[in-house]
Amino acid sequence: MSNAHVSVRDALYEAPGPKTRRRTAIGTGIALAAIAFLAVGVVRQFYITGQLDSKYWSIFTKSTTWKFLGQGIAGTLEVALTAGVITFGLGFLLMLGRISDSKVVRGIATALVEFTRGVPTLLFLYFFFLVVPQFGLTLPSFWKITLPVAISACGVVAEVFRSGVKAVPKGQREAALSIGMSKSHVFLKVVFPQAIRYVIPALLSELVIVVKDTTFAYVVTFPDLMQNAKVLISNYDALLSVYLVVAVIYILINYLLNRASDFAARRRNRTLMAAQQNGNKGV
Amino acid sequence: MGVTELLSQYGDKYIQALFTTWKLTALAFAIAFVIGVLVTVMRVSPLKPLRVVGDIYVHIFRNIPGASLLIILVYALPYLNVVWSYFTCVLIAVSLIPAAFCSEYLMAGINTIDIGQIEAARSIGMTFTQVISKVVIPQALRASVLPLTNLLVATMLTTALASQVPLNPRDLTGLVAHINTHAVGGITAFVISAALYCATAVVIGQIGNRIDRKVRILR
Amino acid sequence: MEKQSKPNTPEQTPVIELRHVDKHYGQLHVLKDINLSVKKGEVVVIIGPSGSGKSTLCRTINRMETINSGEILIDGTAIPQEGKELARLRAQVGMVFQSFNLFAHKTILDNVTLGPTDVLHVPKKEAREEAIKLLKRVGVDTQAAKLPAQLSGGQQQRVAIARSLAMHPKAILFDEPTSALDPEMIGEVLDVMTELAKEGMTMVVVTHEMNFARRVADRVIFMDGGAIIEENTPEEFFTHPNTQRAQDFLNSIKNH
Repeated sequence: MSNAHVSVRDALYEAPGPKTRRRTAIGTGIALAAIAFLAVGVVRQFYITGQLDSKYWSIFTKSTTWKFLGQGIAGTLEVALTAGVITFGLGFLLMLGRISDSKVVRGIATALVEFTRGVPTLLFLYFFFLVVPQFGLTLPSFWKITLPVAISACGVVAEVFRSGVKAVPKGQREAALSIGMSKSHVFLKVVFPQAIRYVIPALLSELVIVVKDTTFAYVVTFPDLMQNAKVLISNYDALLSVYLVVAVIYILINYLLNRASDFAARRRNRTLMAAQQNGNKGV
Repeated sequence: MGVTELLSQYGDKYIQALFTTWKLTALAFAIAFVIGVLVTVMRVSPLKPLRVVGDIYVHIFRNIPGASLLIILVYALPYLNVVWSYFTCVLIAVSLIPAAFCSEYLMAGINTIDIGQIEAARSIGMTFTQVISKVVIPQALRASVLPLTNLLVATMLTTALASQVPLNPRDLTGLVAHINTHAVGGITAFVISAALYCATAVVIGQIGNRIDRKVRILR
Repeated sequence: MEKQSKPNTPEQTPVIELRHVDKHYGQLHVLKDINLSVKKGEVVVIIGPSGSGKSTLCRTINRMETINSGEILIDGTAIPQEGKELARLRAQVGMVFQSFNLFAHKTILDNVTLGPTDVLHVPKKEAREEAIKLLKRVGVDTQAAKLPAQLSGGQQQRVAIARSLAMHPKAILFDEPTSALDPEMIGEVLDVMTELAKEGMTMVVVTHEMNFARRVADRVIFMDGGAIIEENTPEEFFTHPNTQRAQDFLNSIKNH
C-alpha cells in the first residue's frame, strides 16, 4: 500500500495545520535551548574541574598511545573472535540437542541452555578464575576470559540457531528426504545452511554481547583494551579522558556490529521477499 | 567444602546476596522502564532535536559495555566533582543500559501497529491524545511483554556488575568471588549462586509467558 | 483561519461539498480542480482506473489526506485543519477502509462502542446496547465477544461499517470497501451497503464493483488522471457515457 514506506513514528502525526506548525517550531526552539544548556553545563563542569587541560587530552595525539590502545583493541578482538567461534560451535551442538529425537538428550540440552542463559558472565568468569585453579588446573589468562564469555553466550546462540531451523520451510526437508537423502545429510546440507542465512543478523547482535563481555578481561589481567587503558592511566595520570575515549571505542565497535546486523537483516528480508514472490508465481 | 558446611557458614550471606541481587534487579528494571519510556517519547516526538537526542541515547547505552560504564561512574566522575556511593553507581549503570534496550523494544512494539488502525481511530473523531492512549500504547505494550520479560532477566544478569565494587551486603556474584578468595569454596559456592540466578530467571520467564499469552494480540 | 460559510437551510446545504480542490504530491498533480457536491441521502459512486485519484479524493473529504488549495465543506462548515475541531468534524463523517482497520486489541463489541463512549461520551451501557443492535443489523452480533483476527474479512468489514454507524454520521465514505475481500465475501458487504443506501444514508463510495454502482448509485463520478471526467446517472453512464475516456474504461473492464 501507499503507506508501506511510512514509519509508524511518522504516521502518528497528521500533516500539520498552521497552529501545529507554530507549536512545533516553538517546541523545537525550546528543545534546542535545553539541549544547549545541558551541553554547556557538562563542558563547564569539565572546565572548572580542570579536566579540559591539554595534558589530559594531548596524549591522544601521540602515536605511542594509539599503538598501545591498538594492541588493546587487538586483544579485545582476539578474545571476542575466539569466544565467538567457540560459542557458535557450542551453540550448534546445544541446538542439535534441543531438536534431537531422544527425550533425554533434549532434556539435557534444554537444561544447559537455560543454565547458560540464566547465569551472568561474571559468575562464569569467577568460576574459571577462582574455582578451576582449586582443582589444580591453571589456564592462561586468555582462556580464563575467553571460555566464560563463550559459555555465557552459547545458550542464546543455540536458541537463535533453533529459531532459524524452525524458519526453514518444511517442504525443503520433505523434498530432500523424498530424493533419498539421509536425515543427517538433509539437515547439514539443506536445512542448516538455510537456517544460517535467516539468523546471521541475530548472530551479529550476539557478537555485540560477546564484545561487551570481553571487558571483564581486566579481572584476569589479560591485556585487552580495558586492561591497556588501565596501564595508560597509571602512566599518564589521565583517568577520565582515557576511560571516556575507551568507552567511545567500544561504542563504535559495537555500533558497527549493530549496523552490520541491520544491513544483513535488510538483505535477508529482500531475498526472502523475492523468494516469496517467486513462490507465489507457482513454480 | 560440602554443601552443608558451606551453608552453615555462609547461609545467611547467600540469603542477603539473593535479596541484594533481587533488589538491584527490581530497582534497575523500574528505573530502566521509566527512562526507556521517556526516551521512547522523545524518539517519537514531533520535535527533531528530541528525536536525535533519544536516538543518540540508545546508540550509546546499548553499545557501551557495563564494565566500562561502571568504571566511568565510580572512578572517572569524581574528577568532575560528581561522587556517588558504590551502590548508586552500580544502580545507575545497570539502569541506563537496560533503558536503551527498553526503548528499542517499545519502538519495535510501536512499529507493529498497523497504520490503518491509526487512521481508523482518527476517522471516528479521536483526538491525537486518544489515538495514542487508546490504540497505540495498549498495542505497543502488549507486543512488548516478551521482550521486556527477557530484558528483566538481562537486567538481573547485568547486576552481577555489583561484584566489581565493594558492596555490603554483596550480590550473588560478589559473594562467590568473596568466598573463593577467602576460603576454598570450590564448585559448590559457584553452583548455589548459579542455581539462584537460574531459578529467578526461570520464574521471571514463566510469569512473562503467562502474561504474554493473556494479552497477546492475534493478527 | 479558513472562512466559515454562512449556514444555509438544511434542504439547500449539501452534506459534502468540494470546491476547486487541488492536490499535488511533489511534481504529481493528483487532484485537479475537483468540484463535487453530495446532497443528503444521495449515494455517489466514484469509479475510474487505478491511479486516477479516486481514493485520494475520498480521503480528502475527512482530511485523511490534505489538499493544497480549494475548499471542503461538511454540512456547510469548512473542514478545520487540525486539533479538536478537526476531530469533532470527523466524528460526523464515517469512513470504511479497504483493509477494515479494526482495532486489533479490542473485541468486536468494543470496536463499535469505542467511538460513542470516548468521542461522543455516550454512557457505556447505552453504547453497548446500540452496538449490539448495529452488529445485529450487519449480521455479526454472534461474534461480539471475539477479536477481529478471529473473523473473516467480510465479517470484519461489516463490523467496520457498524463502527461507523455507531457515530451516527451525516455521511459515510467507503474507500474501496471490497477490494481486499475474497470474491465470496464481497456480496455480504455490498448487501449491507445497499441496505444502508435504501435507508437514506448519504454515501460516497469508491469501488470497482460496477454492478453495485449501477444498482445503488444516484450518481456516478468517473475520474481519470486526477480529474473528474464525467458525472452522470448510472443508467446513462453505463449505457452511453458522454466521454470517450469513460467509454474506453468501460470497454477495458468488460474485456476482463
